[in-house]
Order: sequence, then structure tokens, then C-alpha cells
Amino acid sequence: MAYKHFETIEKHAPLLAILTAVMVSIGGLAEITPLFMEAHSVRAPLGVKPYDPLRLAGRDIYVREGCYLCHSQMIRALRAETERYGHYSIAEESVYDRPFQWGSKRTGPDLARVGGKYSDQWHQLHLMAPRKVVPESNMPGYPWLAQTKLDATDIQARMRGLRKLGDPYSDADIASAPDALKGKTELDALVAYLQGLGIKNEPMAANGQPATDGGEP
Amino acid sequence: MSLFWSLWIMFLVVLNLGITLFLFLWAPRAKIPVQQDGTSGHVWAHGVLREGVHPLPLWWVILSASMFVVGFAYLALFPGFGRFKGLLGWTSHGELAANVASNNARLDELMKRFSLYPIEQLAGDPAAQQLGGRLFLDNCAACHGRSATGNQLLGAPDLTDNDWLYGGDGKAIFTSIHDGRAGVMPPWASLGEENVKNLAQFVLSLSGRPHDEQRAAAAKPLFATCAACHGPDGKGNQALGAPNLTDQIWLHGGTLADIETTIRDGRQGHMPAWSPRLTEDQIRVLAAYVYHLSHPDHAYPK
Repeated sequence: MAYKHFETIEKHAPLLAILTAVMVSIGGLAEITPLFMEAHSVRAPLGVKPYDPLRLAGRDIYVREGCYLCHSQMIRALRAETERYGHYSIAEESVYDRPFQWGSKRTGPDLARVGGKYSDQWHQLHLMAPRKVVPESNMPGYPWLAQTKLDATDIQARMRGLRKLGDPYSDADIASAPDALKGKTELDALVAYLQGLGIKNEPMAANGQPATDGGEP
Repeated sequence: MSLFWSLWIMFLVVLNLGITLFLFLWAPRAKIPVQQDGTSGHVWAHGVLREGVHPLPLWWVILSASMFVVGFAYLALFPGFGRFKGLLGWTSHGELAANVASNNARLDELMKRFSLYPIEQLAGDPAAQQLGGRLFLDNCAACHGRSATGNQLLGAPDLTDNDWLYGGDGKAIFTSIHDGRAGVMPPWASLGEENVKNLAQFVLSLSGRPHDEQRAAAAKPLFATCAACHGPDGKGNQALGAPNLTDQIWLHGGTLADIETTIRDGRQGHMPAWSPRLTEDQIRVLAAYVYHLSHPDHAYPK
């Protein structure tokens, strides 16, 4: 290779642009592509079921209200996190989350294992008016959730959509969705979703720890 | 990671490092035709800007060379080169396990000392108070408040007074935290609104508060039903978690309207079980902290 080759590259802008793009994309091809492709091979472990209709509705409200903007659902493998929130999160737990709610922005605490930490009544009060239970909180209230009833046909459509993506909902599951949502408000659904986090989305071993460590790091 | 993706990453790493290393080694030696004015002859802006030909500054060469060294050393020591796990065998999970183990080893001595005396005595230990206070803020304060004075909206009891629903000795507090508590006051709307109002007046009379004596007297026979849990004299029952009605402490609020609501609609209190989240040692320390809250002058344990 001689200097004149580099002169050619330097003097031809399109060629320079293409070669620059090739070099820059090497990092992405090496770091992103394998993880992206391998993510499709993550299968739901035994004991992890797709969201029941009420919790699915709650999850959609969680996304709609933008809870993820302040709350993550991913406990990192750091002692400061596992001491406070519990066992670190593993990929299999999020297999039915579309889209996942991992996040890295924490104005409020991580919610990956918040299920069962507080009572249902606490969650209701806290969502309606956070400062009634935690005076120091800067979370906004969501009082309208208690006034809105859930739409059962909408949830059935969502369940059918998720089934197309691979979630194992049976016809009976979808048919019984309206019964599960009868008379429930958005607040009930969101509380049910929160109370299931970390309890109903992880494969549990006998010792109360998640049954897998998430495979190879 | 599958073999294919491992090879894919290895190929790209070799390609990237190969090209950059080649450029780093070859470029300083490349023969660049130099004009008489010491430039390469490349001009911009009609000759205002010209490209000079100079050797690379030494600091830049050293910096770049050290980056290559760091890069190769990283790939050798840590995971990064496809499936190769690195010579150190480092994993994030392994580091976490080591951190947890070293922290547990530090706490172990403390916990051994803590296990020597009962919870009531542990309550006076400043180290236990500090550790317990941290655990309390993280886990209990959401309902009982940072100052542990409770929340009547939730029926979360004040922990700083000496009124206990389920008993206030160390063992009872430990059990309350470990297993949780579910308090149930059934609704009595079926008695009729008049009787609910009369009973509320009777309950007010139990703690010596101003009340309508006529209504209270009318409700007295009905209180036999309430006495099953709250006791014949309304002093409560710690075996059931039935509150004492004769003190001035109110779990769900002590206004007449609150009391009427409690009788009419019932109340449900829920203290979650903490055994899935906290270890026995942590619960013991927490119980000691809670005991300390209502016994602030407790002596330092011997």
C-alpha cells in the first residue's frame, strides 16, 4: 500500500464516507448483533407464565403513565442494589415484557421485586396521593386511575396480539378475560401488576432465589 | 454464546485491531511526496490553507501505543474476545458474590454478638440501633413513617407509644415482622345505622371521652358481640390483634366519623411478612430497633 491510495480515499468524499461507516460499524456489529440475535433464544422458564388479563392491563397502564421514566425494573449485580432490592434481575424474568421495562433512570426506587413489599391498600393510597403515605415523596398522584373502568374487549385484542408474538395464551384464557376484568378500575389493575412484580415473573427455586443466574454473563 | 457468534466477535476484533495497528505502524513510515515549501501540495480555499508534512508528535505516539497495550491486556485478562473468559476469570456475578461474602464476614462478628442477648436487651445496643434504623427506613418507613409514628389512613400503628396490638415483647415484635399480620374488623352495617351510631357513642365512653349517654347505654347490650374480640371491658386482645378501646390511641382515626366508619364498614389491616425479603438476623435487629423506639431510655446491654 502506498501513499497514493490514501490520497485517493481522501480526495473522494463518497469513498471516504463508505469506508468511515464500515470502520465505525465494526463496534456495533461486534457488541450489539450477537446480543440481539441471542436474545431471541431466551425461553420462558418453568413457572413463568404470561401476564393474566388484570396484570396485563396494569402493565399497559404502567407504560401509558410513563412510570418507567422514574422507575427502573432491573436490579444490577451490585451489592448496594441486591441488599436493597433483592436478587439481581435475570433475562428470563422479562420474557413476556413487551417492551421490557428495565430502564436505567431512577428518580424513584427500582420496582423489579416490589411485589408483596407493601399492602394493596398502601399501593392504592400511594398511587392516589403519594404524600399521604410518604410525606417526603416527590411522585405525582394518579387519582384518575380509580375513576376509569377497564375495557375488556381491548384487553382481548392485546392478548391476541401478544399470542401472535409467541405468548402462550389459550383461547380459554382470552375468552375468560372479560370476567377477570369485570368491575375493576385501572387502579386495581396497576396495583395487581405491581404486586406481581418479582413474585410472578421469576422462576423460583426452593431456597427462594431465582432458579437460574441468567446464564453466561 | 454460540460458536458462530463467538467467531463473529473474534473476527471483528481482529479486523478492527489489525487495521488500526497497521495504520499506526505503517503511517509514520509512509513516503509522502513533499513540495519545496514543505507541504504535501494539498490546498484548500484557493491556497489559503495548505497541508504541512511533519512527523507525529512523540506524546501522541506514546499515548496511542499505550492504548494498544491496554486494549490487548484487557482482552487477555477480562471477558471480551468472543467466548474467551479471560485469564482472571472475572464475572460480574462472581464479583458480587465476593462483595457479599466479604461484607457478611464483617457483619458476622456483629451478628454473633447480637445473638448473645435477647431482643429486649439488643434494643439498647447502639450498633443494632444504627443497623436497625437503616433497615427501618428502607422497609418500614413507607407505612409506619420515618419517625415510626404510624399512619391512620393505612391503619399502620404508631410504634413509638407503648400500645401493642399483638404484644410488645421482643418475640411478639419479631413474629409480627417475620410472618406479617392480617387484622380484620368485620363490618357491622347489618346491625342498622342507628345501632352503629349508638355503638360509636359507647366506644367513645370506653375511653372516657364526651359522648351521648343515652345512645351509649342503648348500645351496651350490643357490645357483647364486640366483646368477643375486644374483651368484655373493651381492653382488646393481643392474641387476635384486637385493639384496646379504652386508651386514647386510635389505629384508624379517633373522630366520631372515623369510629362510625370503622364499625359500619369494618377495617382490614395488612402487615406484609418480611421473611422472604430479610434474613432472620436482620429481622432480629429490626425487632430490637422497634423495641428501642418505645423504650428510648433502655440500658446498654451487658
